Amino acid sequence: MASHSKPFEFNATLSHLDEGLDTLHESIKQLRKSTGRGEDDRNLMHFEIALAEIGANVLTHGRPAGTDPPVEYRLWVEDDTAHALFVDGGPPVDEVLSRAMPDATSEEGRGLPMARWLLDELLYKRDGEVNRWRLVKRL
Amino acid sequence: MSLEVQSRQIDNGVTVVAPTGRLDVAGAPALKDAIGEAVKNGKPRVVIDLEGVSFVDSTGLGSVISALKQIRSSQGDLRLAAPNQQVRVVLELTTLDRVFPYYATVEEALTGF
Repeated sequence: MASHSKPFEFNATLSHLDEGLDTLHESIKQLRKSTGRGEDDRNLMHFEIALAEIGANVLTHGRPAGTDPPVEYRLWVEDDTAHALFVDGGPPVDEVLSRAMPDATSEEGRGLPMARWLLDELLYKRDGEVNRWRLVKRL
Repeated sequence: MSLEVQSRQIDNGVTVVAPTGRLDVAGAPALKDAIGEAVKNGKPRVVIDLEGVSFVDSTGLGSVISALKQIRSSQGDLRLAAPNQQVRVVLELTTLDRVFPYYATVEEALTGF
């Protein structure tokens, strides 16, 4: 029978960019501590980079102008795989998974291509009035 | 965690800009401000000392590209020093390590600059 242990779980609501990013990095710090992984664990480092990119995107664009609904964030590890979920009330995001890496002189547009490259799965779904982002990385 | 940036002028006229904290979407404006100050004085030669940067994201990286453009448009030059492993991974992943050759220490970056 397969084991489905869930050794780590973290839940938060994120309301502001700076504090929200603090919370994301803190959740990874707690994951490192909980699973005994070091700062130089390459897969977890890749996951943290992708998490920060999607998190920054959600916290910047995921809330309609003039409103301030919190973003739901959940992080968990199951069967040596890190999962994160963001749910935001922002407008739909178009063509999010097909954006290419821009050229070297561009000052923006690398976040989503980087996240896609670093993760095993990056899923985006418009679900009624909310956006759901799912990040998966085998550790 | 906001980014703090300190700048100092070295004897040979090079400005060392030393951010501390996360160079991300929240911290990038502070680096842009510091670079803006550094390019005021003629032909700028700038070393960004990354030793105190714990984490960089794509927006932070964008602020470094912006710095390079700003400095080169003033006929100056930019070098990066002491990036940690995470910063090196992001530079390599985006192939910007070809645009920004980085140095292990500030001292190495200052040599022959």
